[in-house]
Amino acid sequence: CDKGFEKMNVNPNAAENPNIDLLFTQSLLKGQLPYDRGYFYTSYLHCGTYIQHFSIAKEIGGAGAGDKYAVNDFYQSFYFRYIYTNAVTTLGEILMAATSADDVNKLAATRIWKVLLMQRITDLYGDVPYSEAIRGRSKLFLPKYDTQEDIYADMLKELEAAIKSFDATKPTFGSADLLFKGNIAQWKKFGYSLMLRVAMRTTKKTGGKVIAKDWVQKAIEGGVITGAADNAILRYSNGPQTYNNNPVAFELVGQDYVSTSKGAANTEWGKYSKTFIDFLKSHNDPRLGVVSVVWNAGNPDTSAAIQKGMPNGTDVRLPDFVTYSEPNPATILQYNAPLMILTSAETNLLLSEAALRGWSSGDKAQYYREGVTAALRNWAQFGAAGVIPQEKISQYVSDNALDAGGSFETQMNQIHTQFWVALLLDEQEAYANWRRTGYPQLTPVNYNGNVTNGTIPRRFPYSQAEQGINGVNYKAAVDRQGPDLLTTRIWWDK
Amino acid sequence: LLIAVCSHAQTTQISGTVTNAADGQKIIGATVSLVAAKGVGAMTDAEGKFAIKIPAAYASNIELAVTFIGFERKTVKIAPGQTTINIPLDVSAKALGELVVTALGIKKEKKALAYAVTEVKGSDFTQAREINVADALTGKIAGVNASSLASGPGSSSRVIIRGNGSLNGDNQPLYVVNGMPIDNTTQSNVASGNSSIGLNSDRGDGIGGINPDDIETITVLKGGPAAALYGARASNGVILITTKKGVKQKGIGVDYNSTFTLETPSIIPDWQYQYGSGQNGKKPVTMGEAIAAGRLSWGPKIDGSDVIQFDGVSRPYVAQKNNIKNFYNTGNTFTNTLAFSGGSDNTQYRVSLSDMNNHGLVPNQSLNKKIFSVSLVSNLSKKLTVEGYAQYNIEKAKNRSGVSDAPGNVNWGPYVLANTVDIRSLDPGYNAAGREVDWNPSGFASNPYFVINKFRNNDDRKRFIGNASIKYNLFDNLFVRGRVNHDYMNINYTGIVPTGTAYAPKGFYQQYTTTSTETNAELTINYQGKLGRDFALTAMAGGNKRKSISDAVNLNGTDFFAPGFYDPSNVVSLGTVNVNQRQATNSLFGSVDLSWKDILFLTATGRNDWFSTLSPQNNNIFYPSVGASFLLSEAVKLPSWVNYAKVRTSWAQVGGATPQPYALYQTYTILTGGGHLGQPLQMPTQTPSATGIGGSGLLQAPNPDLKPLLSTTFEAGVEGRFLNNRLSADITWYSRRTTNDIMQAAISPASGYNFALLNVGEMSNKGIEVMLGGTPVKKKDFSWDVSYNMAYNKNEVVKLAEGINSLQLDVSVNSYAYIFAEVGKPYSTIKGFKVLKDASGNTVYDNKTGYEMRTPLTDLGTGVSPFSAGITNNFRYKQFNLSFLIDGKFGGQVYSATNLYGTRFGLHDMTLPGRDGGLTVTGVDQDGKPFSKTFTYDKDLQGYYDNYKNLSEKFVYDASFIKLRQVVLTYNIPAKVFAFAKMQSVAVSFVARNLFILYKNAPNIDPESTFSNSNAQGFEMFGVPRTRSFGLNLQVKL
Repeated sequence: CDKGFEKMNVNPNAAENPNIDLLFTQSLLKGQLPYDRGYFYTSYLHCGTYIQHFSIAKEIGGAGAGDKYAVNDFYQSFYFRYIYTNAVTTLGEILMAATSADDVNKLAATRIWKVLLMQRITDLYGDVPYSEAIRGRSKLFLPKYDTQEDIYADMLKELEAAIKSFDATKPTFGSADLLFKGNIAQWKKFGYSLMLRVAMRTTKKTGGKVIAKDWVQKAIEGGVITGAADNAILRYSNGPQTYNNNPVAFELVGQDYVSTSKGAANTEWGKYSKTFIDFLKSHNDPRLGVVSVVWNAGNPDTSAAIQKGMPNGTDVRLPDFVTYSEPNPATILQYNAPLMILTSAETNLLLSEAALRGWSSGDKAQYYREGVTAALRNWAQFGAAGVIPQEKISQYVSDNALDAGGSFETQMNQIHTQFWVALLLDEQEAYANWRRTGYPQLTPVNYNGNVTNGTIPRRFPYSQAEQGINGVNYKAAVDRQGPDLLTTRIWWDK
Repeated sequence: LLIAVCSHAQTTQISGTVTNAADGQKIIGATVSLVAAKGVGAMTDAEGKFAIKIPAAYASNIELAVTFIGFERKTVKIAPGQTTINIPLDVSAKALGELVVTALGIKKEKKALAYAVTEVKGSDFTQAREINVADALTGKIAGVNASSLASGPGSSSRVIIRGNGSLNGDNQPLYVVNGMPIDNTTQSNVASGNSSIGLNSDRGDGIGGINPDDIETITVLKGGPAAALYGARASNGVILITTKKGVKQKGIGVDYNSTFTLETPSIIPDWQYQYGSGQNGKKPVTMGEAIAAGRLSWGPKIDGSDVIQFDGVSRPYVAQKNNIKNFYNTGNTFTNTLAFSGGSDNTQYRVSLSDMNNHGLVPNQSLNKKIFSVSLVSNLSKKLTVEGYAQYNIEKAKNRSGVSDAPGNVNWGPYVLANTVDIRSLDPGYNAAGREVDWNPSGFASNPYFVINKFRNNDDRKRFIGNASIKYNLFDNLFVRGRVNHDYMNINYTGIVPTGTAYAPKGFYQQYTTTSTETNAELTINYQGKLGRDFALTAMAGGNKRKSISDAVNLNGTDFFAPGFYDPSNVVSLGTVNVNQRQATNSLFGSVDLSWKDILFLTATGRNDWFSTLSPQNNNIFYPSVGASFLLSEAVKLPSWVNYAKVRTSWAQVGGATPQPYALYQTYTILTGGGHLGQPLQMPTQTPSATGIGGSGLLQAPNPDLKPLLSTTFEAGVEGRFLNNRLSADITWYSRRTTNDIMQAAISPASGYNFALLNVGEMSNKGIEVMLGGTPVKKKDFSWDVSYNMAYNKNEVVKLAEGINSLQLDVSVNSYAYIFAEVGKPYSTIKGFKVLKDASGNTVYDNKTGYEMRTPLTDLGTGVSPFSAGITNNFRYKQFNLSFLIDGKFGGQVYSATNLYGTRFGLHDMTLPGRDGGLTVTGVDQDGKPFSKTFTYDKDLQGYYDNYKNLSEKFVYDASFIKLRQVVLTYNIPAKVFAFAKMQSVAVSFVARNLFILYKNAPNIDPESTFSNSNAQGFEMFGVPRTRSFGLNLQVKL
């Protein structure tokens, strides 16, 4: 009596078997935009306003929650709610399917990419599901939260093991690998660069399960990305699909800097922060006109003189709203702009700090110069409007040289203020780096109704839904880590 | 009823009329037969008339027997030479002959039933009408909880019988037309949470396509025992619709029914009108500030001075109390049905044409339904009978309103617009460039006129329901019957978020084309006979094949190339997704009914189902039912005031499966749209409600181990009629338990999935249903009938998954409140946050902000009212008839986001304290130290009240209500007035629905304003206003 039923219950609109190459390409894109608004809510409205790259004049109860330090579960849990299901699960499917001996390189790349995503998650929230995560297919529906210390220890081990497992005689993802087209040497550099990023995050911790210095040295020894040729960059196009668009441009244009606004009626009343524009202006930074415009009589105007940032904590669309600076449509807001995942700008600045700490024998000033230079040059990837003439770069680099004889703090300030400028758009990484180093020194806003006592938030609260769904594990994490507040410091931030 | 007529050459003709002895009304369809000769007889026609040709052999001694359901059988002798006779029938004292329709359309004597069944006449729905006939069940039947939704005309219904039985499955009953199931799929489930694309409307369900004028009776099989023969989908009860059929008559009978009603909002919010638009006690002084305060009534006292508004125009600062009245139209609905019927001895037909035209409250919204139906019954020979029914619907809906969240929801603005701004100044909602005009700081809170004038939200559907039955009598007591039913629906939907929309300047495009069919084929063999003198046996065995197919092509696009031109060819980024779903259930079943001396009746059924949605190892289940009915009044001598007494009990199991196909194994979907830079993209398949090119973003964990769920019901009841049948009572107690329930549990997204289908749930419903009827007055010119029903259902979630004690069913906008299923509590528990108190009951304030702190997520009530009752009074005085229904629901709660936003925006009168002189709060702080703070209007009072959004309990209200649900005042114009036009009857009625709310506790809203027919009930938020409707009905019979 059930003849034909099994056949009938096969989904005609989907494949029964995975194709790991296709899954990997998708996971690279989804890692950047797990779901619509993923970049907008997480990176732009929150991380970006916390570190005063951006400023949002909207109400504290709405899109201004980040700018003014309020809790908003919908925005702040968004990353948690979508990154596992849309990107990490996909990687988990590859890990389950890539079982043949020929898959070692694919497996290694997948593991490295998974570390990058997992670090982003834990850096936002603190303790998160890690060892028991993405095991819903084996009916583990309520994963425990691992301590951030354990997560960090394991991510570093994963990176090391994955990098070591590459085998040049075996196939790679090839063209499905949007980052390096299957180039194993580049994957190794990317893996070691990520190891450097992960390890450097733990510099506040001494002792315990992660010894930053050891892992930093291991990374340097392995060889990190030091030249632009090895940068991890995702390329995008003008469409036709939204997933073809650079997620930063897609989200910023779609959600705030709408094409019809011309600086006047931005959906969420966003602009560059006064802090950010003031810094660029006061340092004659040639990037100013690359990243920023003021809409002047309906046209984007890059002249330095008229650039002006909007103060954080603004709560009304100011009468002169149109006169404030915002992202340049010719660079940042292009749908086909590249997305910098991890570049030599970041590694060189981190290497400079490592040298400053005496963890490497390299020349900290030289690393610093190369980092700043790379940061300025990276904009050329955005097209003609991003190209900064070499003499301007040289001028800027020499004007802003590392004060190698200055105090440790002075040099840290210089390195990480440059890091803060260099990682514009990678707001999650820039926010994490700011929390770790405290540089640049930012003046918090103290808007009425803020819940941080006028201090810049140190983490995102967990998803409220987890309280109801995964309550036991949620509670264990909160009991261990501290109250589920914006102000609670996560493990590496203590 | 079958008509058996033989004709002979040499005959005498006897003709006459059959009437109700009580009121003189003609009885249509009574059987008049010659006692002496089997097979000689006739049925009364639409005028109660009959004519019988008596074969010459019997002409000398004619005795006629007259029978009709609900009346005593009567025999009359015809005097020699007499050719006409009027036969009055008495209403049956014991209702012994009363037949009711039961599962599979089998008619049974009511006395034999071991379970509760309620029958409602179709005429109850044809005067004071609802657009969706299921909404009209409200208050009429004990244990049937029909909730009307605030989703606008033509939206879906939610009917729950004996409580929610399943945690995630469909909890609505199975709808059956003429014995065979139809499809009742809801076309679009509206989102409670944030819905940024903004086409959040309810596009109706399957039952909405049935024309009440075509309904002869609606029979409600409330629970497992009654419905077991229908199998899986009947565990929530069955609503059986029997359509009208033609009757044998001379010429063509014509029925015309016309209703015109007007609709107005039933509740206007009682906002504060002391303080006008502004922020922190100040009026706006620039256009920017006016926009910022566009939905904020936090300004100074209203003083009549000129003040700048959102559009830069200065207008007087005066209270605008009529924004709701000024924005909404008076809705109207005009329904006309014309039916023709007739027939010969062997074949009867009925044809009906119906047109329903609605223009709702929301300007520019309309709904039109045209329904054409045909019914045919034919006795091709003594042994062979065929029956057929077909209907075809053409329905067009224009601009269905969005509900709940603000984007694209026209109902948002009129309710929250600052109280000194005239809503009409927002008209037409767009500027010269076609862009939406901002009236508030959030582009997501749409300008309602822009939505009315520019959005499109249209669907049109074609539907065919056809069933055909062939019955062949093998012997007098044995027949076989084959039936097929096909329900076909084709829906085309186009949704446009236009260019120029504030939150989507380049717009969105949606186009769904769905064709769905449900086909059932059934074959049964039926035996009816006597076993000796005292025993009678009825037995049936058969099988059914059900197949359901849904093929959808969904186009989703973002951005239009050329502004204002809305066609897929003009969409920049377009994705096409096919969703093809197939499922089938095969079944074998049988039943045996045994009766002894008309005193004791036993019944047993069994059914085995095989489900295509489960794996072959677990895909079938057998489930039985047994029941007994005992006629106390026949078995023993009871006091003379007891006319009838019966006790009954039954037990049944019904199995079921997940209705989701393809849920067993992980699958992988290629992303539509060409991939990225030449590389194709694949992802684990996301949940089917894909609303975008990138999928829904949500994943359900596959589960190959799913097995059937089981619902077990035990019920017992007593029935009685007393005092010469002037009083009747029917009381039922039941207990229903669903085990191995397949629930879609929300799981931690860190598991990699958002949901999992799990075979673990257990839910219990226990309740009592009481129906009382009485005729306090029964005179020739005046009578008064009253019927009362009430039901109490205690629902409890007994078990969820291992390690899972709560299951999130829904979440409101911005996660302000949640709906959960939680172990030990009723289903649809509203959860949220309360104000935090310390051990001594002091309020705890945050010493940084001075705001009240909140508790962890906690229970705030239940979204489903456990207690419901209705009372219908019917008065007849000569030609006048007045009936009215009062009903109520009690014990439930509602989370009202209308009140929440009214508070955040300073419209709610709860926000008045402190505006004059400041508000001082005292309590303790989070460290337990005494705390006090004064909020002043010019500085921070607004923020204090805005923080209430985090304190869900402030907006959870008792949802109890009593409503004057329905009033019908009819004048039956005496037929003689129209004798010249040969009209049989003309009746004119004043009709009204939802006329008054007699009692409620929730301020500013109608507590029956939930906007979704999903399982999660308990959220109210800017639905289409609930309406009172009133008008005239005309019924003409030719």
